[in-house]
Amino acid sequence: MTDIGKVRLRVPSTIKAGDVVQVRSLIIHPMERIERDQQGKIVQKNYNYINKVTVTYLGKTIAVFDTTQSVAENPFFSFTFKATDPGQLKVQFLDTTGGKYEGTADIKFS
Amino acid sequence: MSGRAIARRTLAWAALALLGAGCAGATPDAPDYRGIPPWASRAIPEARGEFRVAPDGKRTAVRYAGWTTRDFERFPTYAYGDQRPDPAVQRVTMPAGVVGDAQKGRALFMNRSKGPCYACHLVPGDDVWPAGSAGPDQSMIGDRKLSDQYLYQVVWDARALFPNTVMPPWGTAGVFSSQEIVDLVAYLQTLKGPVPPEKDPNRNPFTRAKPAGFGDNLDPTNNPALVLADDADAVWAARGPSGKACGDCHEGGVARAMRGVATRYPKFVKTYGRVMSIEDFLTMHAPETTGLEMRSESNDNINMSVLIKRASNGMPVRVDLESPEARAALARGKATFHRKVGERNHACADCHTPDAAAGKFLSGRLLADVRTGLTRHFPTWRTDRAEIWDMRKRFQWCMTPLGMNMLAADSIEYAELELYLTSFDNGKPLNVPGIRH
Repeated sequence: MTDIGKVRLRVPSTIKAGDVVQVRSLIIHPMERIERDQQGKIVQKNYNYINKVTVTYLGKTIAVFDTTQSVAENPFFSFTFKATDPGQLKVQFLDTTGGKYEGTADIKFS
Repeated sequence: MSGRAIARRTLAWAALALLGAGCAGATPDAPDYRGIPPWASRAIPEARGEFRVAPDGKRTAVRYAGWTTRDFERFPTYAYGDQRPDPAVQRVTMPAGVVGDAQKGRALFMNRSKGPCYACHLVPGDDVWPAGSAGPDQSMIGDRKLSDQYLYQVVWDARALFPNTVMPPWGTAGVFSSQEIVDLVAYLQTLKGPVPPEKDPNRNPFTRAKPAGFGDNLDPTNNPALVLADDADAVWAARGPSGKACGDCHEGGVARAMRGVATRYPKFVKTYGRVMSIEDFLTMHAPETTGLEMRSESNDNINMSVLIKRASNGMPVRVDLESPEARAALARGKATFHRKVGERNHACADCHTPDAAAGKFLSGRLLADVRTGLTRHFPTWRTDRAEIWDMRKRFQWCMTPLGMNMLAADSIEYAELELYLTSFDNGKPLNVPGIRH
């Protein structure tokens, strides 16, 4: 899967200072499950899913999401934050195989 | 006579008149299968409808990963070279002295590897999920005092009683054995009213809410197809073995160079002497110009088709329906649409015209109405497969589970069927890529 880790971020086209802004993000990721047998032992060891999502704004981490295998394939994450200054918003996705994918959006005031 | 009845009668006469004209051969609207060029598929191996033959002669179909590999050779397909008639109607007598087991009959009614019957017919029971409404509600059929022989014949081959039925001939096709149909009849006879009150309105397909859709299909954070298909930007810019890239001839960027192009496809392409969709055309055009392969159903082909079609988003579809070639192709496409094929003896029209099952539920799936135009959002994101599908793969998917060997994705038959379907999209805006279940 060559497309794994493609990220899209969307923020509103017009933002004013102090606005609470909704961010929408989507990442292409298979989100493979951990499969266990009747005794609870892991059968499929090649599982690969996103287990951490970090949001950075103006160089500071403003939110961390711990996610589990029960999130859908090609997951969509949406959250809000308060836009105080113009600058870069970065969303980083980490998966269980060490993959690190990120998307950025420029927060500009109009 | 009411106004509506008069209108219907007038229509019937008009249809009769048309039929007469068709018989006389005076109109080009009767399907004519002469002069269709042979076509060597340029699809990826799993999309060609080919077979692998084992040393013992057993044929397995080569299809996409996870699809059935069963060979349905016994049953007619949409191939123009395959004009086998529908299987003959079988009139049968229920074997005397055989006792049906209603419990086994119910299990057969629910068996997903057979019908399943509940995909079309509602019966009581919380486990009947998701029940469909494509056929009549059978919750109280036992109250109708129908004879066992009558029900046996309807399940075996309903065409003996209703020539225009959409019910598959289960016995004739060999899906259910004689004993199994006797069990089914025994079960049907137990279905008597009153029906227990419905706890969940969504269980009943006649009261179920219609699906609401999946939101804005042009929002890249909502439609993964937009994210995946942007690989095509690199393909557009890539120089092929010939040293040329798409942009060298199609100047000004994709959005400008390709604006409006997709609204005219599928169309008859003189160079190749056949009707082609954008996807078909790319399989020939890319190797001939840039030298890059763009096989039907490959990622490059589908992504590029999305890219080209997006340049026409919002513009009305304008396929040619008037030229002699287009009219001949349309007539063949329409004949395909109405032709019964496969183990189930189904035609496209059985599910997708309002006279039959369009607008009703097949299990949990709402059957689309061909008149609303079903092609202008293709290639489309399929939420349940997590893949982008073009119209051809949709055709292949539609008929393979119904017991028909699929054709090559870039076959002329599919292109002309797509042209017929697209004729209902004419004048409506393109909106690619869509999102569907």
